[in-house]
Order: sequence, then structure tokens, then C-alpha cells
Amino acid sequence: MLAYIARRFALAVGTVLAAVVISFLLVHATPGSPGAIKAGAGGTAAEIAQYNHQLGWDQPLWKQFADYLVQLVQGNFGSSLIDSKDIGADLAARLPVTGFIALFATILSGVVGIVLGVTAAVRGGRFGRFITSSSGVALSLPAFWVGILLVYVLSLQLGWLPATGYVRFTDDPVGWFTSLLLPVLTLTVGGAAIIARTAAAGMREALRQEHIRTLRAMGTPAWRIRYLHALRFASVPVVSVLGIQFIALFGGSVIIENLFALPGLGQASQAASSSHDLPALVGVVVIATVVVVITNLLLELVVAALDPKVRTA
Amino acid sequence: MSVLPLDAADEVSTEPAPPTRRGGVPALLRRPGTAPSVLWLVFLVVASFTAPLWRPYEVARQDLANRLQGPSAAHWLGTDPNGRDLLSRIFSAGAQPLLASSLTVLVAFGIGVPLALIAAERGPRVERVISRLTEVLLALPSTILLLAVIGVIGVKIYWVMAILGVMISAATYRVLLGVAQSVRTRLYVDAARVNGLGSFAVNVRHVLPAMATVIAVQAAQLFGIGLLILSGLAFLGFGPAEPTPSWGTMIQTASQHIYDAPWLMVPTGLVLALTVVAVNELADAIAGKAAKEKTPPRRRVRVVASSTAAPADPDAVLEVRDLSVAVEDGPQLVTEVSFALEPGEVLGLVGESGCGKTMTARSLLGLLPDGVHVSGGSILWQGRELVGLPESRLNAVRGREIAMISQEPMVALDPMFSVAYQLTQPIRRFRGVGRREARTIAAELLRQVGIVDADRVLKSYPHQLSGGMAQRVCIALALTGRPKLLIADEPTTALDVTVQAEILSLLRALVRDTGLSMVIVSHDLGVVADICDEVAVMYAGEVVESGTAAAVLDDPAHPYTMALLGANPHVPEGQPVPLRLASIPGTVPPPGSWPTGCRFATRCQFAQAQCTVPFVSFPAHGDGSVRCIRVDELARENVTWDADVAGAEISAGVPS
Repeated sequence: MLAYIARRFALAVGTVLAAVVISFLLVHATPGSPGAIKAGAGGTAAEIAQYNHQLGWDQPLWKQFADYLVQLVQGNFGSSLIDSKDIGADLAARLPVTGFIALFATILSGVVGIVLGVTAAVRGGRFGRFITSSSGVALSLPAFWVGILLVYVLSLQLGWLPATGYVRFTDDPVGWFTSLLLPVLTLTVGGAAIIARTAAAGMREALRQEHIRTLRAMGTPAWRIRYLHALRFASVPVVSVLGIQFIALFGGSVIIENLFALPGLGQASQAASSSHDLPALVGVVVIATVVVVITNLLLELVVAALDPKVRTA
Repeated sequence: MSVLPLDAADEVSTEPAPPTRRGGVPALLRRPGTAPSVLWLVFLVVASFTAPLWRPYEVARQDLANRLQGPSAAHWLGTDPNGRDLLSRIFSAGAQPLLASSLTVLVAFGIGVPLALIAAERGPRVERVISRLTEVLLALPSTILLLAVIGVIGVKIYWVMAILGVMISAATYRVLLGVAQSVRTRLYVDAARVNGLGSFAVNVRHVLPAMATVIAVQAAQLFGIGLLILSGLAFLGFGPAEPTPSWGTMIQTASQHIYDAPWLMVPTGLVLALTVVAVNELADAIAGKAAKEKTPPRRRVRVVASSTAAPADPDAVLEVRDLSVAVEDGPQLVTEVSFALEPGEVLGLVGESGCGKTMTARSLLGLLPDGVHVSGGSILWQGRELVGLPESRLNAVRGREIAMISQEPMVALDPMFSVAYQLTQPIRRFRGVGRREARTIAAELLRQVGIVDADRVLKSYPHQLSGGMAQRVCIALALTGRPKLLIADEPTTALDVTVQAEILSLLRALVRDTGLSMVIVSHDLGVVADICDEVAVMYAGEVVESGTAAAVLDDPAHPYTMALLGANPHVPEGQPVPLRLASIPGTVPPPGSWPTGCRFATRCQFAQAQCTVPFVSFPAHGDGSVRCIRVDELARENVTWDADVAGAEISAGVPS
């Protein structure tokens, strides 16, 4: 078990390191230089050279990489080329916005998806087919389009929710919650559909198992067979997909943050990308990788807790 | 960008899915959504690539007098904020995403397929290295990395989509590796290798075709994901520069005019959504989900009037009379099977596979598979009719009066729960005791079935048990409700030979000590001779011979029983070992194609013309019966099932 944890941890560190290397190399493979970006369109060659010297761009690549790693380990992400703000502090402020959207959307997708999927598998028939086929449609819809439709219906037509904008939790907790509702609902449409499909497939698979027949032969009540034994069996794939879902929603928040004007990580990466703010780009990639890696580790722990085969291995 | 996890492809069966392939294209189109999807995709591709030829307006042509119009005769789909024609722009924008998404798919498979083939072929060490690398790739946040790429190289869509393909190849590799490995373990691939096919040829001829379905499904799904990501990027402003139209940019524009021109979001969004829906529908159709998800019709409870109410045999606990089992709207699986069982007696149902033994046994508990039902006859249990009993009443019988142990102990226990839980739960239900007492009873039951360290086994999970141990736990489980009848469906088939003997003696001891009655299903005459009092030999869904075990085995009257005995490698002590075992030519005919008259006639050494005429069973072996029209003749001639005649075809070319 200890060896297993050590291996997982090594893989996690390796993944983060790979992300740093890839984004670092990517930045250095470009024509152009950070000095040119910092100096802006009217920068002279001398200004650019001076900026590059300040940023250490004229040092050998390995030295720059080593310096960056040392800084990174200390939690220093450097400062933006565009407005010289501290990248670490900026991303730290943005992380909760994206994190909460992804978390709420995952939870809601899980609840709605599991209820629909299990119902589809247990009820079967026309109702089951309806759930399966409509979730097939729902997961194919582009999230940004769904978002626009929801804004149109829920805020413009019905006036239930604010269309866009973000309210800080410390300013107004209720306002904070309602400002997240539309983005979360938008992501839930596709998310719940995927969970519903996984849950339905998992339940159908579970109900076909030999041990379910043993339970039936023992006269076990039907609700117990379905909602204790079969659901438990189906929970492993469902939880795995929920984890993947969280990661996908976390990355997928770029578009949602753009649509709803939310100050999250996605917005930062979009801004950094269009302004070629190289250190900010590397920072976003590293933070996102860390989130993915931590999610994966947690996911494995949950699966191990659910599945005795993994737990006792 | 999209919230579609690639792992949705994991659901896809890794088997080559013969049903959809055998039927070809028409079978694919049988799903209601598939034909419209294909039509839409064909229309979209043709309309997009020919757009410059037919579009009513140039994409950049502005008509500022007619801004943000709804559909009209002049502009079928309306106009955008610059008065440009939406219809022309939507379809002119189609070619690029179609091509760029195809590029992503090509790159993803161009890397994923070779990697999967190499990993499957070169064995665990290479596989581990590749898998670790792809795991890292898989754990990178692809969306944000993609934005970083754009930040560095700029909006070069084909490059960006190719890089996306590289990132996705890790996911395709993972799925395809599973397929490649399972194909490689199949026998025919080994056979091909032995026959001298090179590894490349093996891959091309055997492994790739087996992957075809999975690749097709994944390709369709990836294509849809590519479309969503591409338009998502354009939505964020990383698309073709104005005035070149793109779907994402057009939806972004629509989002800004949601107050004054909500119509604007409809046409573009609908075209994009329809396309992705159609592609995913196609993926589902290829995956053959239609077949998998076809839920069987709800079981209709048919009340079959029993022919006679009173049991013919007053001593019998169980009396099965003229029991028939059939597939719903399909062939009969079991026809008019009758037998009776007295308390403390063991009845063996024997025959080859596919004779209806298991169906007969399972119908006793009302546990037939979906779509299979009792179509006639009666099952009298302690004078009560079980056929047609509602599920709730049957449930009261299950476990409490009649219990069952199954063929494969390793999968008969719930892998997610401990043995303790699986035993105490029914004990508490059946015996109304508390948690602690139930645990004590569970330990006692385990000791009763010969488990010495009951406490350790109670704490175990099923995967930690050996096959013999699991079967003992299953027997203990069956005993939790103190049943009067135990149905054992091939209880020893899946076990090692030494363990088989132990389980059989355990069952024998249980019958002796507790007065349990038992129906044991087996194809092994040794088992029957060992444990059964009565035996019913089944062939093609009917009982061909029945009687006491001693009478039937010592003096078989039906040629099928003789043949089974002749084919049995276990020789009773004191008898000469035969030079050659007998065999029965051919196989059991499948349900629905049984011959009239004697169903065994086609394989019988003694068959004559009279055997194909319908006839009924004759009494034999005292209370038993035999279904052979020549039974008296054969008895007079004192025939035996001859090894040489039966084996003639097979042994012809083999030097003896």
C-alpha cells in the first residue's frame, strides 16, 4: 500500500513537472521575446534588450529553467508582462471562482444524472429510452450555446436570475450564490447527461450480474437489490466519470467565464493567451495541472474506499 | 472546452460487435435517429463544401439597411448586425471546422493506434512505459494548454487542432490498448503466429479489424469533440479573422445581441448542435447500443391452469408436472417435464449442455431470464402451486423455503460487500435476530459447511476467497433461511477436482443431517451416482428417462442414457476399463429445431423409421419412465452403446 501511494505521488509530481517543462519549452520555442511584449508595439531594440536582460531571457535555457523552478517551489510565479502584477496572487484570487463553479456543477450533475440514469435503468421501457436518447442530445450541445439560451429564458424572459457578472462572497453571500447559478446550470446540462448515461449503463450492467441473481434467489426485497447492491456496484464507474467531469468542467470554465463575465482562471488564461503574457500562461498551466493531479489522487482514494478489490489489494 | 469526457468511449464494448456488422448498413439505420443523422451530415458536408457555388450572398456583403433581420424571403435565415446573410455565412463557415476536426481525429489515431499495437505486442515492460507517458499526457489540462499554445504560436487553427489530436491520442491509446490486448489473448491470434504470420501481418489481419468498431465509434465522438472545441475557441475570439465567418464567432456575436435580436442565436447554434448530435448518434449506432439497450418486455405473469389440483404423490414435497418453458414469442426450451421429490431425497437432472436442465431448475424459483417464461404445466411445492404466483408471494418462498446455489461461486457473491454482511443480512431478515446474534449464527453456519477459520472468512471479501471456499460460503448463504429444498445448479463444475469431491460430500452430509431435499443439476454422471436417489435424464428439453439412480445407472433403458454412461470416463470399481470411450455423434439440436418423434433419433445408433413418429413415455424403473419407442426391443436384444460405431468417423484417419 505504501509503495502504491509512493508511486502515485511520484506520478503526480512527474505530471506537474511535465506541465512546467512543456509550457516552458513552448514559451521558449516562440520567435519573439518577453521583452518585446513588455515593451509593447512602440518599443525600441534597446528597450527590448534591456527588458530581456531584466527578465533573464539572455541567460542559458537550463539556467532560466532552474531559476524558474526554484521560484516556483517557493510559490513565486513571477509577474505579468502586461501590468507587472504578481501572477501568483492574481491566480490565487481567481482559483476559488473557477473551483466553486466546477464543484457545484459536478455535484449538481451527479445528483441529477444519477437519479435520471438509475431511473432509466430500473424503469426501462419507453421512459428509459427517452432518458437515454435525450441525454445523448444534451451532451452534444455546445455549452456556450446552452448558456445563451438559458440567459435568454431564465434572466431575460423570466427575470429569475442575473444574466452576467460576479458578486464576491464577502460582499454578499446570497448574491454570490445567485451569480454562480446560471453558469452552474449551463455546465450541468451536459454534465448531468454524461452522468445519466454512465449511471444507466452501470446499473444495467450491475443488474445483469450473477450475484444479483443470488440475491433474488434469497428473496431479497427488490429495493434493496436495486438501491443497495446494484447501485453500489455501479458507483465505481459513476464516481470515476464524476472525477473526470470535474476536471473537464474546470478546464471548460474558460468559455463559461467568458460568457458570464466571471473573474476566474479561464478568463485569466484567455487574457494571457491573447496578450501573449508568457509567465502568466505558464502559471495558469501549472495551477490547472496541480488541480487535475490533486483531483485524480482524491478520485483514486474514493474509488479505493468504494471498491474492496482496490482497497484490500 | 467541451465537457465531453473521452472516456465515454470506455462504455463501448471491446468485442468486435458482430450483430451490427453482420447486418451491415441497413442494421445501422434501424435506430430511429440514425437515418436523419446520416442525411443531415451528408447535407452539411455537401452544402458546406459547395457553398461558394450556391450561396445567395457573398459572406462579406453588408446590407446595413437590413441589420439583425429575422427570416425573410430575401434572407432565409435572417441577417447579422452588419446586415450580412446568415444562410450564406453559416454554410460558408462549415468547411473549415469539418476539415480541422478530421485532422484532430487523424492525428489522434495516427499516434494512438500504433502505440496501442506496439504496447500490446511488446509485452508488459514496453506497455508500462507507454502507459505512464500517456497517463501524464492525460493528466494535463488540455483546454488551458491549448490556450497557451495559441498564446505562443497565434491562431493557427490547423496547428492547434493537430496539437489537440496529440493530447487526445493518450485517451485513444488507453481505450485501444484494452481492445488490442484482449484480441491478442484470443486463441486465433496465437494460431496465426504459430502459422508463421509476421507481427505486422498479424496486426493488420487480426488485431486492426477487431479494433475497427471501437475506432469508428471513437472517431465519431472525437470528431464531435473537435467541432465543439474549435467553435469554442472561435467563441473566445481565437477563430478566423473577420470577415471570414465561423460558427463560434457568430454565436459570440449572437450572445451580444441577445437583448435586441434573440433570433440571431438560433440558426448558427442549431446547425452546430445538430451536427454534434448527429455525429454522436452515429457513434452510438456503430457501437450497437440499440441492441444493448433494448429492454426486454415486462414479464407477463401467465396463470396456467393446472391440470389436476391434487398431488398424485401424497408424499412428495415437490411435484413438477408437464412443465414447459418457452421464450416469449419464441421456441420452447423445456417441454412437459415431470418429476417428483420426497423429503430428504436428492434428484439429479442430467444431460448435455443445452438440454434445458438449468431452465427447469430456475423455473422452480421463478428466476427465469428476462423474456423466458413458464408456458404450461405446474410446480406444486408442499401442495401449493408456484406457477403464476405473483412476484411478492414467490419472494416469500425464495431463500426461506427453497434456496439455490449456483454454478459459479466466484461471481455469485457480491464483490462490494464482506462475507459477514452478505450472511448476516439474510439471517436477520429470515430469523428476526439482532446484529450480534446474526453474526454468531453466520459463524456457526460457516463451521457447518466445513470452514475452520470462520471469523477470518467473515471479514473477507469475495475476491479473497478460493473457488471451493466461495462455494462453501454460498452454501452457508443458502442455509440462512433454513430451506427445505436446495437447488444446486452444477455446484461443482467450476471447481478443481479435489474440491469437487469435498463439496459433494458436504452436500451429502447436509442432506443426511438436516433432512433437506435437493435438486442437483449436473452433466456429470459420477456426481449423480455419488449423491442422487432419483435421476431424470434430460435431452433436448424433455425427460427421456427417469427412475431411481440405481436403476437408471445400472440398467439404462434409453439409448441416450446408455450413450452418456458409455461416454463417462469414471469406471466403477471392479469393472474392466473400456479400451475406448464411447462418444455421441453430433450435438444437441437447438430449441425450435427439435425433430418430431424421438428428439434423439438423429444421433441414435438404434434409430429406425418408427422413431420419427410422435409417441409418449412408457413407464419404467418402477415409478420412472422412458421415452423410447424401441425400449422393449432394445431390452430384448440386450444392446449396448457401441464405442466403435459412434467413434468410427472420428477415428477413421487416426492410426490405433
